[in-house]
Formats: sequence, C-alpha cells, structure tokens
Amino acid sequence: MDKAEILSQLQEIFRDTLDDQEVTLAYETTANDVEGWDSLTHIHLVVSIEKHFKLRFTAKEIQSWKNIGELVEGIISKK
Amino acid sequence: MNNYLEEILLKLESKRPAHAKKLRLNTNYLNELYVSRANDFYSQYEKHLLRENTDLDFSIDCYLRMLDDMAIERMNFLRQGKYSSVSLMEVEKCIYNNPDMMCYHMHGLALAQFLWFDQYERYSFFADSLAGYAKSAESYLEIGCGHGLYCYTAIKLLPENVKFEVVDISDYSIGICKGIINDPKVNFITKNVLEYASNSTFGFITIGEVLEHLEDPLVLLKKLKDLLSDDGISYISAPVNAPMIDHIYLFNEVQEIRDLINQAGLEIIEEKVVISEHVSQQYADKFKVPVMFAAFIKQKQQ
Repeated sequence: MDKAEILSQLQEIFRDTLDDQEVTLAYETTANDVEGWDSLTHIHLVVSIEKHFKLRFTAKEIQSWKNIGELVEGIISKK
Repeated sequence: MNNYLEEILLKLESKRPAHAKKLRLNTNYLNELYVSRANDFYSQYEKHLLRENTDLDFSIDCYLRMLDDMAIERMNFLRQGKYSSVSLMEVEKCIYNNPDMMCYHMHGLALAQFLWFDQYERYSFFADSLAGYAKSAESYLEIGCGHGLYCYTAIKLLPENVKFEVVDISDYSIGICKGIINDPKVNFITKNVLEYASNSTFGFITIGEVLEHLEDPLVLLKKLKDLLSDDGISYISAPVNAPMIDHIYLFNEVQEIRDLINQAGLEIIEEKVVISEHVSQQYADKFKVPVMFAAFIKQKQQ
C-alpha cells in the first residue's frame, strides 16, 4: 500500500470518526487544521486506525506525530 | 471573591492550550450560578492548599497528570473493552495506599469538579435538590467522600442540627476532604464501607461515584439499603464506560445501574443522565464515550 492510498483511507476514517464528511487531509494537516480533532477524538482516531490497518501503536508513537504525513509514515513502518 | 475559575483556565491555557480551549467551549453555556459555585469551592480548596504550603499551580500539574492517566486508560479500554483494574485488592495496593498517586489523582479530581461540564451537571442536580429531599433528615452519611465537595455543600445547605459522618477507604482521601471542609462537626472514618457499621440509620446518604470502584456494587447497594432510614433518601451517581486508574466495575449502559438499584430493594425518585462530551447519543454509543448517571433514590415501597 503506498502513501497516497493510506492517506485516502485515513481520510475516510477521519470523516467517519469525526462525523464530518467535509474533512480533507493532506500530509501537512495537523490537529489545529481539523475541527473536532481534540484529545478525546484523537484517541478514537487512533483506535479506529489501529483496527482498520490491523496494527498497534505504542504510547510514544501516538504522541510523536506532528502531522498526517508522520502518521502515514508511522503506518508504513508497521506494515 | 477572586475569579478562581478564570485563573485556573488561564494557567491551563499556558500549559495545555487545546485542552483549555475545549473546557471553555464545553462550559460556555453555563450561567453565573456555575461561576459563583466554582469560585466558592475553589476558594475553599485554595485555603486548604495554602495550609498545606502549596498552591493552585501544584494542583494544575496534578490535574494534567490525571488527564494523561485517563488518556492511557481510555485507549486501553477502547482496545480491549474492559477496565485495566480487576480487583479491589490490586487497586488498594497500587493506588489507595500509594500517597503519590492518591495525591495527584485527588487534586486532579478536585479541580475537575468545575472544569468538566458533566461533573457540574451532576453536582448541580445534587445541590439544587438536596435541601428538599433531606428536609426531614437528622443525619447525613457520605460514603466515599473524595475531595469533599458534596459534603461541603451538604453542610452549607442542611440545618445546623444535622449530624455528619463520612466514610472512605483511603486515608489520603479523608485527609484532603477534612482539609477542604475544615469543619469539626463532621465525623471522619477511614474504612472500607463494606466493613463499616452504624448503630443507627441515616436520613440522607450520598454515594457519589463509588459503585464503579467495587468488584460487586450490588453488595454496597444492599448495605446502603440497611443504612438508610425507612423514609430516608440517598443521592447516588456512577459512570458508564468511564475508564480510570481506580475503576473496577464496568457499567456498559445506564440501565444496568437502574437494574442494580432495583435489585437492591431501592427505588429511583428522580434521575439525571449526562453524556460527558457534547456529542449525540449515537456517537457516545459508537465510541463508548463516558455517560454519567445520578439519581435520588429511596427504599422501595412494599
């Protein structure tokens, strides 16, 4: 699975988890750019991403992503 | 009176801006009474902190540490569908008898009382109706006092002649509650409530967020029934899907709490259910967002 494919799937997960079909993700997107992406929904997003991609992040990894691009890289490194 | 609420929010903004922003948004629908109640309690709380040679900055650090614990517990809960602690013995050893953990956890909870709208909604439900429900009570018992906000409020709202007794399993909790209330009329007892006995029944009993700390909450509800006078009233609250470091018993839905109350021979007079985030019930169900249940209950009529 390449980066673009992961980004596309992440966008669907974000739309479903944040209950907002307008969410559009880019590699540079941060939590500040997405309405509704807060500390609570971050946990929901992580769990949904883990379930979708069948992987498990460590606590350190979860806190380390500065933007969506880093999250995509994190997923690739786990696959 | 100082605007402690604003002071705390400003301090939080400097340390965790996104969280502070969310707290402001979540509570912006509340009225002046909320601000006044918050400042009254925080003022009382700060007096305790100063007597202990510390201050609100310390308390805010405790609160943030508690939030970090909660995030970990929530993540594990959503992954595994269960709370991480399984036995009272384990929680007693790791938390209730661990002064460091109890310290930041209790101070964190004390601050959260007026920072989280769902906590305030429950408190408001209690404070608005207590005087009416306890009008004929001569004695008040609180099981699991935490930081003491509910007992502090009851002392203010109930007549002078009411006798107050507080039971809590943790010495630390009793200490902070005693410190904040700072009133000699309260009899404090450090004891597991299941081992607690009284020669007389009580006209009003508060059990706020205790059931989820037990392996079998029905045992406590039956104990409550025994401790409550025939015409007594109890205020009880418990959370659904609310992982915390010291929560053991998982309520998956509100109806399970109602059923247990009924099973214990008690009856709900009035209840309040609050989702802990401003989300729809459907969203709360899907992501197991904590839901808070509170009720005034009485002995079931035969």
